[in-house]
Amino acid sequence: MASSRPDPAPPRVAGIGVATGLGYGQAALLDGMWNPRPLGGVLQRPGRQLEGRATPFLGVELAEPPALLPPRVARITSLGGRVAVAVLDEAWRDAGLDALAPERIGLVVGGSNLNPREQGLAREAYAGRMAYLLPSHGYTAFDTDLCGLCTSTFPIRGMSCTLGGASASGLLAVLQAADAVRSGRVDACIALGALQDLSSFELQALANLGALSPSSRCRPFDQAHDGFLFAEACAALVICRADLGLKHYGHILGSAWHSNGQRGPDPSPEGELRLIRSALASAGLDPAQIDYVNTHGTGTPKGDDTEAAALAQAGLGQAPINAGKSLIGHGLSAAGTVETAMTLLQMQAGRLHPCQHLENPVQPDLHWVRGAPLNHQPTHALKLSFGFGGMEGALVLGR
Amino acid sequence: MERDAVLAIILQQIRTVVPELENQPMGPGDSMADLGVDSVSRQEVLILSMEALNLDLPMVQLFGPRNIGELAELLHGKLPA
Repeated sequence: MASSRPDPAPPRVAGIGVATGLGYGQAALLDGMWNPRPLGGVLQRPGRQLEGRATPFLGVELAEPPALLPPRVARITSLGGRVAVAVLDEAWRDAGLDALAPERIGLVVGGSNLNPREQGLAREAYAGRMAYLLPSHGYTAFDTDLCGLCTSTFPIRGMSCTLGGASASGLLAVLQAADAVRSGRVDACIALGALQDLSSFELQALANLGALSPSSRCRPFDQAHDGFLFAEACAALVICRADLGLKHYGHILGSAWHSNGQRGPDPSPEGELRLIRSALASAGLDPAQIDYVNTHGTGTPKGDDTEAAALAQAGLGQAPINAGKSLIGHGLSAAGTVETAMTLLQMQAGRLHPCQHLENPVQPDLHWVRGAPLNHQPTHALKLSFGFGGMEGALVLGR
Repeated sequence: MERDAVLAIILQQIRTVVPELENQPMGPGDSMADLGVDSVSRQEVLILSMEALNLDLPMVQLFGPRNIGELAELLHGKLPA
């Protein structure tokens, strides 16, 4: 979507499936958007805590996914795989994908290095008896197993791949899926933001990096922000040609996808401004026509400050702004897909969720939605996602 | 260990790998393929059985058996006397 002319037949989003700490399915997410509540707590899953650490790691964990897989398949399927099948099942039925030929349906799984927690546990479990390591680890150990799992569980026979873009993965998967539809490679493509199943190893490194909040509350754009809250999450969006007669949540009007030239976590003010301008140009829109911004907004001071400044500088001061991570935490690889789903659900509802824990905003002149939901019907929404390594994506959605 | 004990271990591993077969009657004359155990699952059964028998053999030595009874025979023959 690099062209500077608006797409004459923009792809649409026809189905949404989602899993967050609020629960499985759209209804649980909607309820949490209108009635925010803190979800963070001490992480309980095996492999998420370090013995002897002064304070436990905090975050948001999902409930057990619905048992949709045959037992023989479930036995060798990770938590992230079982959650992926649950959200894909919801999105599939929502869009009515059974109506399409399997060869015309594709899949892009957003995320890489998805399962260090279970792999770490397996290493511990097989220490000293590696000769008996289960053969299935020979393929389940790779992120691409999610493609195999999803395409063997659902009739998907078009292209499939994983796409790694750090915390932008989920949004970049949406862009890649939209490109696959626009190019004619498939008629519908599922973008699946995969669950990033971190272990205590990555959590400690993120804490030492200063990215992880020591508190169980994520405060994006509040002056008291002190880092992000790790969260399990997953979402699937069905993106398809506009002329298939499937359900309609919104159109993908434009996008931008670039590198800002940073290796690590540092945001780039110039990069974010360039990204926003490029996305608006690809949709053929002026800043004044954007009437909702769904931020990346992780709750890290430098990230928030840079993003807020970029929004102000881009002329988006009039648009209502919120941050999904204030409600559900940071799903890392899944975040961009989950938050695109939240954007579309808010556009459909004509209502925007408040930023939780936002009391003293940085950049107070921006139009923060806080305190209570805002009845507002966006026409053109901008969604931003940024990843370590300078990968940045933006999406312009229309009704 | 008797040959029948080896057979019982194999049957138990089959039911671990394919829980759907929990209530399925099966015996030495059945082949895993006929029971619907795919090739990767068969490898899992072999590895789990070897671990249960404390055997460490190259996989290539386990080719050949046409049914579960012959596999039990083969594994039984590899056990230390």
